[in-house]
Amino acid sequence: MNTSQFVLSLIHASGEVRGRTLLQKRGFFVSLLTGLASELGYQAHYYGPYSAVLDGTLTQMKNLGFVEEGTTGFGIVSGGFEMRRYDYSLTEDGEKVLQPFLKTKEYADIANAVRRIRDAGDPDYMELSIAAKAYFILRKQQKGMTSAEMLKEAEKFDWNIPEHSLGRAASFLSTLGLTSG
Amino acid sequence: MRQRLEVRDPIHGFVYREPEERDVMDTCIFQRLRRLRQLALASLVYPGATHSRFEHSVGAFHLAGKIANALDVDTSETRLLKLAALLHDVGHGPFSHVAEPILKRHSDKTKLGDQVSESKVHELISWQIISTDKELARLISDKHREQIVGLLKGSWGHSYLQEIVSGPVDADKQDYLLRDSLFSGVKYGVYDQERLSNTLVIHDDNDDKFLAISIDGMHALEQFVLAKYYMTTQVYRHKIRLITDQMIERGIALGIEEDKVEWLKALYSFDGSPEYVAHYMEWSDDRLINEILGNATKDGYAKKFFKRLYNRQLFKCIFDVDQNDFPDPTVRNFVFGDSKDFYKPLEKAVADILKLDSNEVIAYTIKFDSATRTESEIPVIHRMKTTLFHDESTLFKSVDQKIREQRFHIYAPVSFQDDKDKKKRLREYKNGILELIGKMADPQTRLALEGSLPG
Repeated sequence: MNTSQFVLSLIHASGEVRGRTLLQKRGFFVSLLTGLASELGYQAHYYGPYSAVLDGTLTQMKNLGFVEEGTTGFGIVSGGFEMRRYDYSLTEDGEKVLQPFLKTKEYADIANAVRRIRDAGDPDYMELSIAAKAYFILRKQQKGMTSAEMLKEAEKFDWNIPEHSLGRAASFLSTLGLTSG
Repeated sequence: MRQRLEVRDPIHGFVYREPEERDVMDTCIFQRLRRLRQLALASLVYPGATHSRFEHSVGAFHLAGKIANALDVDTSETRLLKLAALLHDVGHGPFSHVAEPILKRHSDKTKLGDQVSESKVHELISWQIISTDKELARLISDKHREQIVGLLKGSWGHSYLQEIVSGPVDADKQDYLLRDSLFSGVKYGVYDQERLSNTLVIHDDNDDKFLAISIDGMHALEQFVLAKYYMTTQVYRHKIRLITDQMIERGIALGIEEDKVEWLKALYSFDGSPEYVAHYMEWSDDRLINEILGNATKDGYAKKFFKRLYNRQLFKCIFDVDQNDFPDPTVRNFVFGDSKDFYKPLEKAVADILKLDSNEVIAYTIKFDSATRTESEIPVIHRMKTTLFHDESTLFKSVDQKIREQRFHIYAPVSFQDDKDKKKRLREYKNGILELIGKMADPQTRLALEGSLPG
């Protein structure tokens, strides 16, 4: 399965993806749960694990007329960041290109992974981001860690994970079977 | 009085060096960069573009220091940043980026594991050289060399430090746009470098610390984005330059796979061993051309392709289309999707029509490296708020979209009698090849094709 098929399937299985960060983080977990699209090459980034390949593929899909991007402005939020959300859905051409792929096992796996993420509490992009950061650190360390150890490791990436949100992240990861609990 | 050792650079004027930095520049691994051209054989299009990776690396070193000073980065981190920028290209081999796909294909995946899919091979070689070169080890401590590699890899140091050496507006790009522009004799890569580096800021939003730009530098950043766009369309993706690059790549690939030239195979089979790196370091652009053209290499494809390059007898572009040439989304996706499985059968079919050897027909998609981080997510700092560059800039989106547009080309060794003949035949080729692609994209034909392809 190539990255374009992965991105198109991810958006299709989600119906519509509300937010670029949500797409990035959901892509991270779906890739993890399915073992597909390992070439996305997620790396540490200031918004948590980020794949330039996914971002590039998304732009390519927009260019080819397979994905539509909508924008919603939310004004300035606390911290001074101006919020604008980018929503993604498949165009008619995108649906047509994906059509033969909908019957494959890979698509079924992606749809199942999207469902599992929703069933595990359907976290918003912030929560997914923290869970992704936590998982990223755990995977790098390849061992169980206490909250304090994890927060210390997060500092190395310049990530300031709020301690109270670690519990929800741990529960999310555990429900998905990505940690031992 | 502190000793100041300067080098005069055509872009930046005097570049000042500390004694340690001068000594690093004097190492064999760094001096070798004088023998690697920055833009491979772009001089066949722009005769002045013969500058080397040596002067570019000195320029990147200078700019890394300049950016670090503007950001008030402390002295010890600035030293590491400058050294990282200086050494970032030491792993390049003959013809630099052009040969990267060959390195990727022939590297020993069993020994190197996931590294090959996660990073570019020349970067892996750079990191290994910095970590193990004995001459360098005498000048820079183990710990500091490890940190320099970490900065380049993105595994050590704050985000904003890593972004100075490897990020959307890093010292590398800031230098090569200006330098490639000057030596190519164009003005497309010019932007306000002074303003750009002086308006970069470290943004701390309580969660992260990263490189951002003050609103005052918005237009300098837009100018930089435009410079990159113009250089891409006018120089890096110049039609003839693309042909020379593809001829180099195909010539080397056929030399290894068809002519079975053992030394060529050994040169591109990176396995992470010190012996490989020692051997690799002995090669340069000119040596590769001379060895291929020399008597010690048997006649074959490599010699044929490099003889053509040597005498500037280049292939011609016989098919040039973009996505708009394919209204049917299935065919559009077939051509511009990720799979290249149809290249070989298409090259064969085109070669049959033109009565050529199919190895001498080259199908190629011009696309933006999707793994490249663009300026899109750079935070723009206003007095009361922070936005992202892609939201703030009126021109970024259209330029970014344009730069990512793909084209599909076919190159072949044909010649035309005159302009009239050229127009007529190119039209015929286009119609014939579009028909071939339409047939290949048909699901039934694809099944048959897949069945006939080996393994």
